[in-house]
Amino acid sequence: MRKQYVVAALAVIFSLFVLTADCISGELEAFGGQKGTLKISGGTAHIPVMKEAAQRIMSAFPDIQISIAAGGSGVGIKQVGEGLVNIGNTGRKPTDDEIARYQLKVHQWALDGVGVVVNPKNRVKALTKAQVMDIFAGRIDNWKSVGGENRKINLYTRDEASGTREVFWEKALDKGTISPSANVVVSNGAMKSAVAQDSYGIGYVSVGHIDSTVAPVALDGVIPTIKTVKEGKYKIARGLYSNTKGEPTGLTRAFINYLYSREGRKIVEKGGFIPFP
Amino acid sequence: MNNWKERGIEKIFLLSTIISSSITLLILGFMAYMALPLLRGGLFRLLTEPWMPQQGFYGIYPMIVGTSVISLLSLLIAFPVSLGCSFLISSIGPKSLSAVFRRIVQMMTGIPTVIYGFVGIFLLVPLIREFFQGGSGMCILTAALMLGVLISPTMILFFCDSFDRVPRSYIDAADSLGANRLQTLLYVILPSAREGIVIGVLLAFGRAMGDTLVSLMIAGNSIAEPKSILDSVRTLTAHIALVIAADYESPEFRSIFACGLVLYLFITIVILAVRRLAFRKSEERA
Amino acid sequence: MKQAGERLTIWYSWTCGLILTAAVFSILVYLLFKGAGAFHPKLIFGDVSPLKAVLLQQRVFDGLFPAVVGTLMLVSLSVSIALPIGFATGIYLAEYADFRIKNAFNLIFDILAGIPSIVVGLFGFALAVFLHKHYSSSIQPCLLISGLALAFLVLPYIIRTTQIALESLSPEIRLTALALGATKLQNLVYVLLPQSLTGMISGVILAIGRCAEDTAVIMLTGVVVAAGVPKSVFAPYEALPFYIYYISSQYTTPEELMNGYGAALLLLLLCLFLFALAFVIKKRLSYLAFYRP
Repeated sequence: MRKQYVVAALAVIFSLFVLTADCISGELEAFGGQKGTLKISGGTAHIPVMKEAAQRIMSAFPDIQISIAAGGSGVGIKQVGEGLVNIGNTGRKPTDDEIARYQLKVHQWALDGVGVVVNPKNRVKALTKAQVMDIFAGRIDNWKSVGGENRKINLYTRDEASGTREVFWEKALDKGTISPSANVVVSNGAMKSAVAQDSYGIGYVSVGHIDSTVAPVALDGVIPTIKTVKEGKYKIARGLYSNTKGEPTGLTRAFINYLYSREGRKIVEKGGFIPFP
Repeated sequence: MNNWKERGIEKIFLLSTIISSSITLLILGFMAYMALPLLRGGLFRLLTEPWMPQQGFYGIYPMIVGTSVISLLSLLIAFPVSLGCSFLISSIGPKSLSAVFRRIVQMMTGIPTVIYGFVGIFLLVPLIREFFQGGSGMCILTAALMLGVLISPTMILFFCDSFDRVPRSYIDAADSLGANRLQTLLYVILPSAREGIVIGVLLAFGRAMGDTLVSLMIAGNSIAEPKSILDSVRTLTAHIALVIAADYESPEFRSIFACGLVLYLFITIVILAVRRLAFRKSEERA
Repeated sequence: MKQAGERLTIWYSWTCGLILTAAVFSILVYLLFKGAGAFHPKLIFGDVSPLKAVLLQQRVFDGLFPAVVGTLMLVSLSVSIALPIGFATGIYLAEYADFRIKNAFNLIFDILAGIPSIVVGLFGFALAVFLHKHYSSSIQPCLLISGLALAFLVLPYIIRTTQIALESLSPEIRLTALALGATKLQNLVYVLLPQSLTGMISGVILAIGRCAEDTAVIMLTGVVVAAGVPKSVFAPYEALPFYIYYISSQYTTPEELMNGYGAALLLLLLCLFLFALAFVIKKRLSYLAFYRP
């Protein structure tokens, strides 16, 4: 009797292995027989996930060439709309105007947030929303006003094509002004290195990108982590979108489906985001 | 038969020349064409308004200030040092050392700009930040310092060249009157090479104005008008690199062509000034 | 009084020399120090064996190989576009143009030489967009457009060095063949060009160095973050200087930063090598010209 159970259990486990093995190669199988180039550009937060996915696909199918460019969400929409790239990544949902103008199809594959970050050496770790608005507008310009050292606050912001900036401006600053004397950096990665190197800097970055080199700042008591974003506690949330002009076909379709597949979701998680849906 | 071949080849050469020169004019044409809608809205507005696209201001004034201040400051830093170095190479240093130093300076012209920016970010920016105990370190001063190092080799080589071109007879005359090397340099060579020095400075100024990477990586790129040399600032060139991403129809996008136009015209003025000076000098000589 | 002024000048010049040497050496030593640790085949080839990578059998994902290949292809493309036109123009200006025309063209090419590289890149980008809209939607920022734009950038160098090399030949050399009955073209091909070869070649090598190190032009005309080895001239590509720029502001791990230092060192050594090569060729060829055995 015992033996039967054991055999049955083993059979189940074995078949699970076989089935999942089939699934994993099946996810990439969609690329079999495809060749050609896939061009991706746009949001900088998406790049680590794009690079990982591209690497796996290109390793398995040497005939496929995937190129990834940065530029920010504005570039993504513009280039996919003009037909310069196949997939345009954005960190904000394209406006209705943009969707209508370029006949965009929007595919969301992750949930992310935008969090305020400071240098790990900074002892300020929590701010209220009003304080954040004042700091970024330039009304508060010394760390001692918010409980830190007596040093000037160094502001870092993103360029105008950035979706991260758009989301932050809308949701965290309530469309308030960002001081014109803030330093401008061009991507999430650049924001991270800038704040990591400047002990008195403050900036905002995609939550999935936050690691040990920068310290997240709690907004109204909620620390921006991917967990609080998922639970809905951290309000400055946004999706990561890949947009195509019209319905995607061929290689483009296969890539987008790959992002939604199990392996794709694992890559998204590894990137620090929450797979969506 | 031969004549026909000769004429043919000459026509081919002429054609290449026309193609090459038309590129210069095409560049000007494209800049003007793309910036036209913005220019039509008011040239004065474009050149004096701040850059705040969300409020509808597409002026490039802060960037013009940024470029001017960084270039002038870098020139201010580089000129004395370059002059001193050129003195060293042409007169004051012992022969072998001068030759070695000249090689070093020539080698410096081969260093890529991106390397200056790269080292600037990791070496100079933290230094300035710590030294001044404030600011992010990415400011006019840092960019001007790095840019000064960048343009020094060109200025030094140019100055040395001008010194070398002073007619031999002047130097012999000074020699026969008993002047030593330094005195010859200060009282004979320097005054004659005056125009050469001015030309060198103008060319270096043009180079400093046209540099993109150093200011993009080190100057901070903020859109405000700078109030002190420790302020973050954006140059015309960095603005082009940053805004290239925008919508093709938008005024923001057109503003970068306006920046390109301003740079183009500025450089043309510098080149024309240089030519006038060189022409006057050769006339004087004759 | 004058004595003091003179002594001050001496002291001042030595200080300036010291300052500049200190500046350049601190840059070089810093890079060497930080980048030497990253200098091994893994920097360029990642985890793939060098032989397989070079034969394009296996893709390199975390090494500099695609960027190095991209830079090499870019340089060859742009120099091969610029060389014929530049040579022909330089020859025309030195040999066939009369004084007023020469002056006018010289002004135009001086302006071309002075145009900031980012404006040339902007032109290349605008050209690509224009062609994309009005001619064929398969024209986009790519290796070809970048090569063209870089060719525009280095054209003045080649024109100027060719022109100067030809113009600085002594009158005796110019007139001898003509006196013996050769035509202008024969004189050009058999006498003048070989004599001015050193100048022209050093101009070419300068152009190569300029193409290899330029970042502003390629940033606007088709270089991307990740593209592998480009399969055609219409494909996006990676390049070494852009990699350095990108890593400097957006490195995500200390290894990436080490790679950045290694890449910076590599580019520096490459450009210095090209520079030294130009110098050596100039010396060698002029030696040969004078002391032909």
